[in-house]
Amino acid sequence: MRTFTHINAHTVNEACELLGQYRGKARLNAGGTDLLAMLKGDIWPEYPEAVINVKTIPGLDSITENDNVLKIGALALLSDVAKSPTIKEKCGVLAKAALSVGSPLIRNVATIGGNLCQAPRCWYYRYPRRLGGPLPCLRKGTGPCLAVKGDNRYHAILEGKGCFAVCTSDIAVALAALDAKITIAGPKGERSISVVDFFQPLGNTLKIDEMIKDFQIPATMLSMEQRFLKFTLRKPIDFAIVSVAASIGLNNGVCTDARIILGAVAPMPFRAKAAEEKIVGQPISDNVAAEAAEKALANAKPLSMNAYKVEIAKTLVRRAIKGSTAGLGE
Amino acid sequence: MIDSYRYIGKETPRRDGAEVVTGSAEYVDDIRFTNLLYGEVLRSPHPHARIKQIEKSKAEVLGGVEAILTWENVPDWKFGTPTIFRILDRKVRFVGDAVAIIAARTKDIAREAARLIEVEYEVLPPVFDMEAAMKPGAPQLYEELPGNKLPLYAPVLGPKSLTEIVMGDVEKGFAEADVIAEGTFGYENIPNPLPPEPPSAVALWQEPNKVTVWVSNQQVWLNRKILSEIFGDNVEVRAIGGPCGGSYGSKVMSWQVQCYAAALSKATGKPVKVCFSKEEHLAAFVLRPETRIHARVGMKKDGTVTAISGKWLLGTGYYSMTTQAQLSVGAGEAQIAVRCANWDVKPTIVCTNRNASGIVRGFGGQELKCALIPLLSLAMEKADLDPFEVLKKNYLKPGDGYYWRDGNWYSYRGVDYTKAMEKGAQTFGWKAKWKGWLKPTALNGTKRTGVGVGIHGNADIGEDVSEAYVRLDPEGRAVIYSSVTEHGTGQRSNCIKVVAEVLQLPLEAVSITPSDTLITPVEWGPAGSRGTYAILSAAIAAAEDAKQKLLQFTAPLLGVGMGDLETEDGFIWVKNRPDNRITWKDALELRTVLGHGRFNPDYSFANCMMSFVEVEVDTETGKVTLLRVVNATDVGQIIDPPGIRGQLNGCLGTAGIDSALFEETVLDRATGCVLNANMIDYKWRTFSELPPIDNVIMETPFPSHRFGAVGIGEVATSPGPSAVLMATSNAIGVWLHEYPVTPQRVLEALGKVGSK
Repeated sequence: MRTFTHINAHTVNEACELLGQYRGKARLNAGGTDLLAMLKGDIWPEYPEAVINVKTIPGLDSITENDNVLKIGALALLSDVAKSPTIKEKCGVLAKAALSVGSPLIRNVATIGGNLCQAPRCWYYRYPRRLGGPLPCLRKGTGPCLAVKGDNRYHAILEGKGCFAVCTSDIAVALAALDAKITIAGPKGERSISVVDFFQPLGNTLKIDEMIKDFQIPATMLSMEQRFLKFTLRKPIDFAIVSVAASIGLNNGVCTDARIILGAVAPMPFRAKAAEEKIVGQPISDNVAAEAAEKALANAKPLSMNAYKVEIAKTLVRRAIKGSTAGLGE
Repeated sequence: MIDSYRYIGKETPRRDGAEVVTGSAEYVDDIRFTNLLYGEVLRSPHPHARIKQIEKSKAEVLGGVEAILTWENVPDWKFGTPTIFRILDRKVRFVGDAVAIIAARTKDIAREAARLIEVEYEVLPPVFDMEAAMKPGAPQLYEELPGNKLPLYAPVLGPKSLTEIVMGDVEKGFAEADVIAEGTFGYENIPNPLPPEPPSAVALWQEPNKVTVWVSNQQVWLNRKILSEIFGDNVEVRAIGGPCGGSYGSKVMSWQVQCYAAALSKATGKPVKVCFSKEEHLAAFVLRPETRIHARVGMKKDGTVTAISGKWLLGTGYYSMTTQAQLSVGAGEAQIAVRCANWDVKPTIVCTNRNASGIVRGFGGQELKCALIPLLSLAMEKADLDPFEVLKKNYLKPGDGYYWRDGNWYSYRGVDYTKAMEKGAQTFGWKAKWKGWLKPTALNGTKRTGVGVGIHGNADIGEDVSEAYVRLDPEGRAVIYSSVTEHGTGQRSNCIKVVAEVLQLPLEAVSITPSDTLITPVEWGPAGSRGTYAILSAAIAAAEDAKQKLLQFTAPLLGVGMGDLETEDGFIWVKNRPDNRITWKDALELRTVLGHGRFNPDYSFANCMMSFVEVEVDTETGKVTLLRVVNATDVGQIIDPPGIRGQLNGCLGTAGIDSALFEETVLDRATGCVLNANMIDYKWRTFSELPPIDNVIMETPFPSHRFGAVGIGEVATSPGPSAVLMATSNAIGVWLHEYPVTPQRVLEALGKVGSK
């Protein structure tokens, strides 16, 4: 790794101030599982001048329930999220998503906030300097997206505009299905934003001097049926090729309400509104699930090598609606 | 199995076991040196380019940088087959090719210097496809290799190395056939064997002509031999091997890594260490060769193969050291697996602008089998024959012969493997599971299971030369002089076992020297599966020679002939008169005894491995899951039970069975970059997903050495990939022609998504 300044922040304000002082040339370090890989690969056009450690901020790792809102601090470890009795009981989809990330060693250091802020999982974006890289690309501000003419087997099948890297955050998909809000702290105080709105085609809405403080999950979502499915080649370690998180309200087998979110198919978590509309008011059946799955992927535009992801996505949506988890690395 | 052995066939602790599991084993990167410099490689961003200019002045003034070498000032060392490949050249031929090597006081300084070197390239068009590379007008990688074709001859294997499989009369063979099948199969996913320890070396060049190299390799003497050829015989090369953190063939040789260290040491006068990073290991070391075969197969209704004719394309990437030898061995192995009187299989070796292919377990044969067995299967399908029966029938039997790698004909004098295959089939339940070609074994909702079988064998178990000395010390101890390194198979422990068995000493009383070519005699090393027969034969012979000399010396002291004496645990006594005995110490006083053992190549034995696999295919997602593996073999005599189990359980990884399921090196045909040079994107099975593996290991004594054993370890990976292709094809009812069986390929075959 190259030389950088390392600073321990003790408050959220201090971290934001430091970010401001470095004008985009500093990176926050929470768990570091992604940051260190990026630093070692030396893939960014500009190497960070400073790394601001936020693990030294007390209290940001708590998981609490108040006034029908479940609040999870940005520094909560994925292993804690996965095993928290409250989360397991009230938002199982999040516990499952957390448990599906990486390996035990990674979950023991990786944080929930860091998971949302991970760099895109694109092998062109991440191509290391040591092998003749880094590769300039649209996401880095120079040139076209290399996936379009290259090996795009893992890239976007929906909503790709310019950059076809996908958002592989399992946590984002689960939180979006729970209609969670993110509290973002900055120099001007705090703001709240939904998880779906947090993501943008080329990244997220965080300004250079902002950081995620916590996540808030409304109680209304907690009572719904929650499902999380993730398709990978290997059960542990792998990032999703496609994931689906769904919250489905059921009354005597009839769907009353639904949020269906797909991960790793688009640059952002993709909300399958057409599928939701298809099932609300219907009794859940094979046909309804299949029709909803078709609707969810109706606008899919696969690249040269990833049409298979459309089929897998449909399968996952279908299975998520039906409540089946067969054979998906569970 | 003979029960009277003291150690052979018994579970005994690995000599290096405690060191390895406690982390105290010293690998190359752990060894401490004074004044050590760190080597770093600046690599090309282009798959094909001419270097116009290298501006290194900014890097040279960086504090701590001691040498920067480029094609302009590096020694003109060349190697490969043919000997035309320079360690740094004016041209770069793959993304990641070495442009400059840097020695600096710390790793970080060396890395920083690499960032400061500015290179101006004249970018040339690249070629990545084997067939495209041979077309007129294709970009040419080397002036010396018109059409990007390499000569097929492998000098290392002798003056008439096998360069094709041609015998009999294929037209006559096809005329005799009841069915003729034709097709193309490719094993082109260039997986990486990926040992945990990356290629590494430390070199110390002492002017004018002495160089010591500490290596992380499988074959230390071979390193010395190759480096001597590169540097010239006037340079004294000493190679020192320590524990080798895995190799799987790939670290038989890493001459580039060693030459980088040696050149930088020559330039600085200090020891220089070069340890590849994981990404360099994945993208700039060696991969499996790629294979594409188009062939016709003639077969009779009874499964007799009457003719095989076709074209075998072998891709070697930007250079070759051993691809020709892999071709030779693969061509020999084809005849071992398939008894056929009429062959006409002509290979071509092609260079393309990707990282090079090198040695990987299966050495040419796995690559060939992955296409040849599916081609045979097409004929079996036409004749409606059970592949187990056909493979069993056509495997080498005692008295059969084959042209081996040196171009000579050998007659097989080992055991008949039929029983082992049948026991394997029984263990797997083949008869109940086999439902016919392209028919699943079972249906379960959206899932289908299918079964497949593959076979492989290698006459390398007696290849090349080994020598060992055994020194007997008066205190009742023995020392083995051998350059064998421990690359994970337990070979050094097995040397100790056989010597202790011959001399009837406690295991603790036998030690083995470091793998240092200054001390030890010549030894080809544990290549292929030669360890058990070739290497152990030399150790056994050395121990027998030492024992004979000991008894010869002692006989007059006890007033008997040496034939009347026995020795055990450091005592020598007269047979049937145990009271008339003497200790080694009293017999030898201040004297040591040295025995010498040599093994000369013997290609009249071949091993055999048959693998059965069952897979489950999710027809909605295209995911293929390996449910079970059964391996069946006969090894004559097990030397070390946990050792052989470990070898056979190694059938999945190291570019083995998993290279049919998900392991592949992703070469981007647009940029030339290896895109998955990390352990997330390179799919490597994790321990939590190991399927059940049953190993059927029979012990029918071979007329090999006194323990009747032969080696098997290398080929464990080889029969499985084609078995997975067969099993998956059977499960989905459609032939798959390429590896690995990705969701994309499966869903395309099922017609659920359009092909690209």
